[in-house]
Amino acid sequence: MAERPFWTDSAWRRKLLGDAFGRGFWGFFAAAAATGLLCYWVKGSELFAKAIAEDFDALMAVLPRVTVALTVAALIWVMLPRDKLSGLVGREAGLTGLVIATIAGAITPGGPTSAYALLAVLAASGADRGAMVAYIASWATLGMQRVLVWDVPFMGAEFAIFRSLVSLPLPIAAGLIARRLPFELEVRRDAPPPPKGGEEFLP
Amino acid sequence: MSVGLAILLLVLAVLVALAVRRGEAALPITQRIVEQFAKLVPRMLCALVAAGFIAQLIPKQAISSLLGADAGLLALPVAAAVGLIVPAGPVIAFPIAVVFAKAGASVPALVTFITSWSLFAMHRILIYELPLLGPSFLRLRAASVALMPFLAGALALLAGLLVSFGAPVTTS
Repeated sequence: MAERPFWTDSAWRRKLLGDAFGRGFWGFFAAAAATGLLCYWVKGSELFAKAIAEDFDALMAVLPRVTVALTVAALIWVMLPRDKLSGLVGREAGLTGLVIATIAGAITPGGPTSAYALLAVLAASGADRGAMVAYIASWATLGMQRVLVWDVPFMGAEFAIFRSLVSLPLPIAAGLIARRLPFELEVRRDAPPPPKGGEEFLP
Repeated sequence: MSVGLAILLLVLAVLVALAVRRGEAALPITQRIVEQFAKLVPRMLCALVAAGFIAQLIPKQAISSLLGADAGLLALPVAAAVGLIVPAGPVIAFPIAVVFAKAGASVPALVTFITSWSLFAMHRILIYELPLLGPSFLRLRAASVALMPFLAGALALLAGLLVSFGAPVTTS
């Protein structure tokens, strides 16, 4: 029996429309309109027209890159087993453990929902604190979804590569610091499930 | 075609080949792409347009004197502080970075800003970190990563002395 494609489901279509043009969108739209009006009012029609032309160029540049980046992110999301990643982190001690945590953080697909869920699993299994800090610091700064979907389209490939390279050693350094800090760590073992909803990019 | 798009297309080609070889079902992947696209792109486009207008409105001198190459080391704490106070997701933070880049912010300042924002974005701490891991983890992590934005900026500064690489693409 062939499964019905997702787009034939009207509830799914309604939710999609809500995600795309819900209240959040109109907030952003209002901000764009307000800044546009302000620009016209303060800077005059000539600079306003220039800004519009530049905005259009920027959109045309960003749109294809974001579309490809989202497709890449979706493919990685489907193909990379996220539950296996948590098995890798926190097993090895020493510097190796921090390097593995950094790599796992960088390749964890998806947004904060998946990364923090994985971190909560690590915490509950009593993983090394240095590895936990290195993992989430690496996801935040080097996470490939952020680099692909945001750095590359907005700032360009050169900047994205440059930023990734200079950030590469830092999660390991943060992990080393975390191991030496005398703070007590009391992690919740009954952590609630991660919040659902605008998981990947919002709020 | 830009280098960025070329790299993305190359990664895409490799992944598609891999997916075909593994016999991945196309439908769930397509569904995820459509859902993510709908969630993200309309807002992203509005944010970009707003960023373009704001770039016209803000005094460029102020930005470039605080975050530009002339600001030297001062740019790093300023960029780190600005990153700290952006309390929202990438759909806001990256257009701000574009505005800064257009106004003449230096590469180390931009690296510091993005690093600082990505580590300390308040919404993520409130929605994910505190409920899932609790305040003691937040304290440990914040203390451990506090230096990272400055180290990233300092490394970018040093690298900038040796090579001229990493300039952001601005359309203006």
